[in-house]
Amino acid sequence: MDVSQYLDIFIDETKEHLQNLNNRILDLEQDGEDMDTINEIFRAAHSLKGMAGTMGYKRMQTLTHDMENVFSEVRNNNIKVNSDMIDLLFKCLDALEEYLASIQESADEGTNDNEHLIKALNDVLNSKNDQPEVKEEPKEASKEDKANSTKAEKWKDIKIDDTFRTVIEEAQTRGFKAYGITVYIMDSCLLKAARAFLVFKALEEHGEVIISVPSAQDIEDESFENDFSVVILTESPLQKVIDAVKFVSEIEDAVGGEIVIEAKPQVTEVAKVDDVAANNTSSDDKPAQAAQTSQPAKPEKKASAKPVVNRTVRVDIEKLDSLMNLVSELIISKNSLVSVAGTAVGRTNMAFNEQIEYLESVTTNLHESVMKVRMVPIESTVNKFPRMIRDLSKKLDKKMELYMTGEETELDRTVVDEIGDPLMHLLRNSADHGLESAEVRAQRGKPEVGSIYLDAYQDGNNVVIEVRDDGNGIDVENVKRSAVEKGKITQEQADLMGEKEAIDLLFQPSFSTAKVVSDVSGRGVGLDVVKSKIEALSGEIEVKTKLGEGSTFTIRLPLTLAIIQALMVVVGGEKYAISLGAIQTIESIKVEDVKKVQGKEVINLRGSVIPLVRLNEMLDIESLTPNADELIVLIAKKGDRFAGLVVDELIGQMEIVIKSMGKYAGNCKLISGATILGDGEVALILDANALI
Amino acid sequence: MNEIAALNGVVEVEKIQYIKIRLNDEYFGIDIKYIDNIVRMQHITRVPKSMDYIKGVINLRGEVIPVFSLRVKMGMEEIEETRSSRIIIIKYDGDSVGLIVDEVKEVINLSVDEIEKVYRDSSENAQNFISGVGKEAGNLISLLDINEVLNDRTV
Repeated sequence: MDVSQYLDIFIDETKEHLQNLNNRILDLEQDGEDMDTINEIFRAAHSLKGMAGTMGYKRMQTLTHDMENVFSEVRNNNIKVNSDMIDLLFKCLDALEEYLASIQESADEGTNDNEHLIKALNDVLNSKNDQPEVKEEPKEASKEDKANSTKAEKWKDIKIDDTFRTVIEEAQTRGFKAYGITVYIMDSCLLKAARAFLVFKALEEHGEVIISVPSAQDIEDESFENDFSVVILTESPLQKVIDAVKFVSEIEDAVGGEIVIEAKPQVTEVAKVDDVAANNTSSDDKPAQAAQTSQPAKPEKKASAKPVVNRTVRVDIEKLDSLMNLVSELIISKNSLVSVAGTAVGRTNMAFNEQIEYLESVTTNLHESVMKVRMVPIESTVNKFPRMIRDLSKKLDKKMELYMTGEETELDRTVVDEIGDPLMHLLRNSADHGLESAEVRAQRGKPEVGSIYLDAYQDGNNVVIEVRDDGNGIDVENVKRSAVEKGKITQEQADLMGEKEAIDLLFQPSFSTAKVVSDVSGRGVGLDVVKSKIEALSGEIEVKTKLGEGSTFTIRLPLTLAIIQALMVVVGGEKYAISLGAIQTIESIKVEDVKKVQGKEVINLRGSVIPLVRLNEMLDIESLTPNADELIVLIAKKGDRFAGLVVDELIGQMEIVIKSMGKYAGNCKLISGATILGDGEVALILDANALI
Repeated sequence: MNEIAALNGVVEVEKIQYIKIRLNDEYFGIDIKYIDNIVRMQHITRVPKSMDYIKGVINLRGEVIPVFSLRVKMGMEEIEETRSSRIIIIKYDGDSVGLIVDEVKEVINLSVDEIEKVYRDSSENAQNFISGVGKEAGNLISLLDINEVLNDRTV
């Protein structure tokens, strides 16, 4: 069988299974007796083995097989879970991941037999019992036999409600026939959804599938047993349709008959099977009604033990990019229409404006949908961290626990892919440099087990990811000393330096304060790489620390990369866009209410003192309204800090497409990009974060 | 004529095409392989806090492109734009940049032996941007080194 076309699916599913195994084995380490966990591990290992076997990856299959044997013994209570065994299992998972990485690269699993692991697994098995390993295959087979004996023409159980009844009646008047077909997929088939998809494709060549049981979605999600039933409207004879279905490989059987609506349902039985003896010859020629009554109702779908996984249609990210570009173009052209409508005074009519408003809502929705398509939860990236922290805990011989929240927070796909490494780095940093050794923690009266937190949440148009620990915090004096030693700064500079500047030193290239260069971190490449990576994603990173209590690294990433809702303002005759997400409120402030604190202008807004930023001064341009009595102030927020941005005029809210200005436009920190307005003019986008 | 045309055809491979432009009363040549487009002056959006020669950005068929004043870049005084002012859109290394020139004259063909290499002389600023001097019908044309013009080494 040519399996290369399933390689992608195989890789994806294997990753899922491995991730699942990683998580479950972590659970198992906490509670070695939990049957649900053990069963799930067993299932995942079993599927993994089967898939590797189907794809012809023998080494992978062998290793998983031996792991499965161990799980099987654990399940049968013949072996108790212990920490050595957990370590060994994790090593096996790592080996499997290596195989997978190699497969991903070259479609070949490589030549590493991992014999020591297999031997170790067998030692675990032998250490406990000499009983022959429990074979689950025969059990499955018997289950299958049972399934086969009850297997029948389930299509007859399909309830045809009035809507479909009408559809079928209508089709019949046009010479179409409605057939019910039940398709049985071979038990050994591992990619059931893929097979079902091929069946549907085959069916659709003949006619229209109007009903399917289970639903198409369930089939796509693979949440069905080994069979599914459909009702198809077609002009082709039944036998031809069934042959087409059987032509799909790994289809065990397909049976079907005509569904006749008006009269008492009559069934023309067809489908004869080649290889399955247990098939239902007995039900042949029986009237459908009899079958319907005699047959037990379709058994309730077994509650799926598989965790709900995000199933997706695989789309090349480039296709999404080009879709996004088209949406951008559409929005620009919509904006020009709006501006044309706005300028053609007296000549616009109601209908035209109505249509434009309609177009506006369509483009906004379209944009949101395309954006959503590109959004994925950060879960896929952060999932691997608990395992990493566990390994670090062993390696560093420090007790620590990782607490994660907000894994469901969504970000643009490209950002999620890129953010993994920086986060990993920060977590390692916390584990290695942040958390103190057990003795020091005891002296300081902290709990023995160190805590590391990874929290993700959405904040306006940003997504914030925080890595926090209750460790030692950053020793600012130590940082300064180290910087002086390395010749980065002079002693005088160090003496004058505030805490914030000193912490910024950490983000300089090749700066590490770890006294001992360890395997985990402290090789001097570090926070600067983290910082540049995050900045490449148009994000920011901030550090807060308290010596002896811990530190917090806050990463702030833009939610969207291409199109944003913006507030258009005028400063000194020039139009600027400011992301609406950054703006809290718009205030009108009397000039006499502006106070000076340490030579800087501030306003007192509902009890909080907010510094004023005169945008015209920041942008080197004369204000249009230098002597106004009232200032228009946009209150912008970044984290817990606020600033009041003074503008000359407000234009209004607008959906804008962010365009890069290229590398030759100079790198003004205040400008995060440009956009094209409805009249074709370019307006610059102010980065509110840089102004605060 | 035909003979000349034929002759031209033969030596075509040896010739490099330049767009001849004017700044003040000097003529410059820009290798045509870098030129994406030539457009009329249009509204330029100023970019604050940028180098003095960066005049701002324009919208060229949906792309935002920075525009340099070639005069300022070459150390000449700035003038008001005139009816003959044009923006030459350069595509270099995947990025587009517009260069404002006083006038675009014509396309000229220069063969290798009509070009005299200029050796860098750091004493004069403008010299840095010239890769050679071409001789065309008795006139001298300074050939611009686009890499030098775009990539500011003084920063």
